[in-house]
Amino acid sequence: MVVSSDLIIQVMIWGLYAGCIYILLATGLNLIFGVMKIVNFAHGELLMLGAYITFTFYAVSGFNPYVLLAASLPVLILVGVIIERTCFRPILGTGKLNEIFISIGLIYIIQNAAAIIWSDEWRTIHSPFEHITLKMFGVNLPLDYLIIVITTISILIVLFLFMQRTRLGKAMRATSQNRKGAMLMGINVERMDMLAFGIGAGLAGAAGTLWVVSGQVFNPYMGSIPAVKAFAIVIIGGLGSIPGAIIGGLIYGIAENFAILTLGGAWKDAISFIILILVLIVRPTGIFGESAE
Amino acid sequence: MIDMNKTLGIGSKKARLIGVILLLILAFTLPLIFGMNLYLLTVLILMVIFIIYASSWNFLTYTGQGSLGHAAFFGLGGYASAIVATASGLSPFITIFIGGGMAALVGLFIGIICVRLKEWFLAMVTFGFAIIIQTLMVSQFAEISGGWDGIAAPRLVPSSIPNYQLIEYYSIVLIAVFVILLFYFILKSKIGLAFAAIRENEIEARAAGINPVKYRLFAFLVSAYFSGVAGALEIHNLGYITPEIFGVDISFWPIIYSISGGLGTLAGPIVGTIFITIIWDGLQSFGLTYLRFVIIGLLLVLIIIFLPKGLISLPDKIKGYLEKRQKKAQ
Repeated sequence: MVVSSDLIIQVMIWGLYAGCIYILLATGLNLIFGVMKIVNFAHGELLMLGAYITFTFYAVSGFNPYVLLAASLPVLILVGVIIERTCFRPILGTGKLNEIFISIGLIYIIQNAAAIIWSDEWRTIHSPFEHITLKMFGVNLPLDYLIIVITTISILIVLFLFMQRTRLGKAMRATSQNRKGAMLMGINVERMDMLAFGIGAGLAGAAGTLWVVSGQVFNPYMGSIPAVKAFAIVIIGGLGSIPGAIIGGLIYGIAENFAILTLGGAWKDAISFIILILVLIVRPTGIFGESAE
Repeated sequence: MIDMNKTLGIGSKKARLIGVILLLILAFTLPLIFGMNLYLLTVLILMVIFIIYASSWNFLTYTGQGSLGHAAFFGLGGYASAIVATASGLSPFITIFIGGGMAALVGLFIGIICVRLKEWFLAMVTFGFAIIIQTLMVSQFAEISGGWDGIAAPRLVPSSIPNYQLIEYYSIVLIAVFVILLFYFILKSKIGLAFAAIRENEIEARAAGINPVKYRLFAFLVSAYFSGVAGALEIHNLGYITPEIFGVDISFWPIIYSISGGLGTLAGPIVGTIFITIIWDGLQSFGLTYLRFVIIGLLLVLIIIFLPKGLISLPDKIKGYLEKRQKKAQ
């Protein structure tokens, strides 16, 4: 196989596109971790729910699925808030293994509830732009990919502005820096938990919507693997570090697509864990991670 | 202070003994009471295999570790045993221990990487290894593993022998009793004390001259070995093995069983496996497919929130509740 520079750029573009999905998931996970110091292993199920809710809206209304993102986001935020209140709040501070275990319960509930509601067939959403491909610098760039990259960047900018400029965002950052201190300053930390989980769920839902609108097939069990990868990214980037999540997401997306090119499609999922394990052997707390707590 | 009762189970010594004897009597007479009911026997065999598997998984938690990828060991044990038994013609009764050895060998490798990691990191790496091993099985080792189609495995007891399923059941029960007794003696020994010390406070354990890495690795090895044995038993019971054995479900089941029964106790995985199996197969007989997963998930969430020490703490909890009410009434 001749590896030309065009091919490398093409793979980079695929990686960038896959990376966007991972970035959205990983940022959400990190936000939740930063504020609540818990990890939601059922994050991929929120991605899957996002995909199905957009799918339902699309089937009912027939609007452009990208526009429907605005409608499915609030639904996902609500789902996130409900999950936080009913499942994670009662076990907060009872040990790290419990979060993992309760997530396993949630995975079973959400996956199979979705299978009951929407059946477990593979489904697709057809983007109105699916046949439009831009020719840039000698490579093919599907318009859908471009929209996804732009949407991801805009979501991240909005999130950044929210965290930096608004009172609520500042309160959230304060909570993630020092929960007790934030409490003493009169911040309602439990409301911050709710908010962080809601935003995290919303980001996962956005990732799910973008993933399926770009032509990926989906079923109720599609969420687990992307979520675990997102979590691996969070670990590589360092728990709680959002820049780490963005860089990690890009590295993952690109590495994964190069692995498919060189090792074959079977290695798509395994390669991300090999990277994770190699990183953890060298640095048990991740590349950007501060010292373990 | 390390409370040995906490390590071994709950309740008084006498109550525990009665429970164990009752359970053993039940295990040995159940198939006789119901006669040769094939469906029941199949369910019972799988249940006992999963008791071994869940107990092995739970063995890790004594040192404060956990794993989300025990399917790797379960599956490796199965594959190694099936391949060796087919190639050499040895009885599966011997090859299951070779399968366990294979699982332990890989477990040693994974364990060396994992002993320094904790909590989520450990969870992720173990989860990842299950996927990596599955990928290896369907790509690099496809020639000997049969790829996605899998391979056939000889039955534990040849089906030419009359009542072979009954013999299979009793042999598996005996192996389970042996494994749990072994765990009991390990936990009762100095090693068990070291485990508890590491789990409760690693720094203090170090100060007392306990090498946490050594003990964690030992726990990992033992856990991987008997998970491999359980995996081998399962595939020799089913008669075939496919890479599906490395699936997320197989990794999660022992966790669900152990948590619902009670983590870090010998009785927990046993009680949990029996309880969940009864519910699972009960729901199946009502024709529920997806809903039973939802119900199991709900049960798990409820148990974690309201019964963090698992079902085996239920009698104590009820007792405490009744005493409280009595006091209030007075």
